Amino acid sequence: MSSSKKILLALLLVFIAVQFIQPARNQSGQALATDITKVYTIPENVQVLFKMACYDCHSNNTNYPWYANLQPGRWWLERHIKAGKEELNFNEFGTYSARRQMSKLRSIENSIEDGTMPLTSYTLIHKDARLTNEEKATIIAWLNETQDSLTLQN
Amino acid sequence: MKNSINSIVSVAIAAIALTACNGGNNNAEESNAASTAVTQTEQQANSAETVAATPINGVVDDYLQLKNALAADNGQEAASAGNELMDALKELGASSLTPEQKQVYDEVQEDAIEHAEHIGMNADNIEHQREHFDIISQDMYDLVKAFDGVQKLYVDYCPMYNDNKGATWLSATEEISNPYLGSAMPTCGEVKEEIN
Repeated sequence: MSSSKKILLALLLVFIAVQFIQPARNQSGQALATDITKVYTIPENVQVLFKMACYDCHSNNTNYPWYANLQPGRWWLERHIKAGKEELNFNEFGTYSARRQMSKLRSIENSIEDGTMPLTSYTLIHKDARLTNEEKATIIAWLNETQDSLTLQN
Repeated sequence: MKNSINSIVSVAIAAIALTACNGGNNNAEESNAASTAVTQTEQQANSAETVAATPINGVVDDYLQLKNALAADNGQEAASAGNELMDALKELGASSLTPEQKQVYDEVQEDAIEHAEHIGMNADNIEHQREHFDIISQDMYDLVKAFDGVQKLYVDYCPMYNDNKGATWLSATEEISNPYLGSAMPTCGEVKEEIN
């Protein structure tokens, strides 16, 4: 066997071996009392958009795609989810301080307006997570409305 | 012969004039340097007298550094100032605070530390740093209001930033130096309030 074949075989064995390493899934299945829907009244259509475009990485329940069963795609995915949840977790929105909630609303608005979220690498595969201009406008209108009413309260 | 005398004379005059000018310049520079040195010493003496090195002043210093870096369109420096501001905010939390100060700090810290951290992580995206700076400036305003012994600060307002929604920031100088628009519109804005 030539050395290049040996290397290929070794790589294949490693690839098979890592398939058995599967980190815990981000699926708690629980509706938490700290969910953003318990903090604000969110219209149904906005909720649907959040769930479709954001919740995979920004909640405790991910809808895993087919490649999630294949390493090293899984690791890559879990890393994204971990970072996403640290940044913003819709399920734990109620645990944030009032001020942080406000700036989260602002940051959601900024990232949707700038187009930095949802991530291009994510919408590439998740076609239903792509937001049309109309959908973006719907979300931003709700965000503005909520921020304005909160500013008046304070 | 007459020509050459003429040219010698004019060269001589020119030489005298040049020397005189140089001398004058030198003197002016020297006196400028001297007065700058005096002003600096005075400023140092002043700041040493009025502003002690307390945790809140550490926070204010780092914030002002961040503000200056953004006004100079320097994302790298803004990032390192952001990281220092994050550390300074944590130090402030570990220091002894009055109950009123603690209340404001607790309300602000989670948010402020996160924004400082994000400014630190986005050295290559100054527009994003400015979005965070907008929000942390509000936190800073509330924070410094709760403390005594903070240096004199100006609350500045730029009506144009963020699609004309406007934004405020804190500055140590009365002169406007806009951290949101940077060199594009360095003097856009006005003083809204003076603290201390």
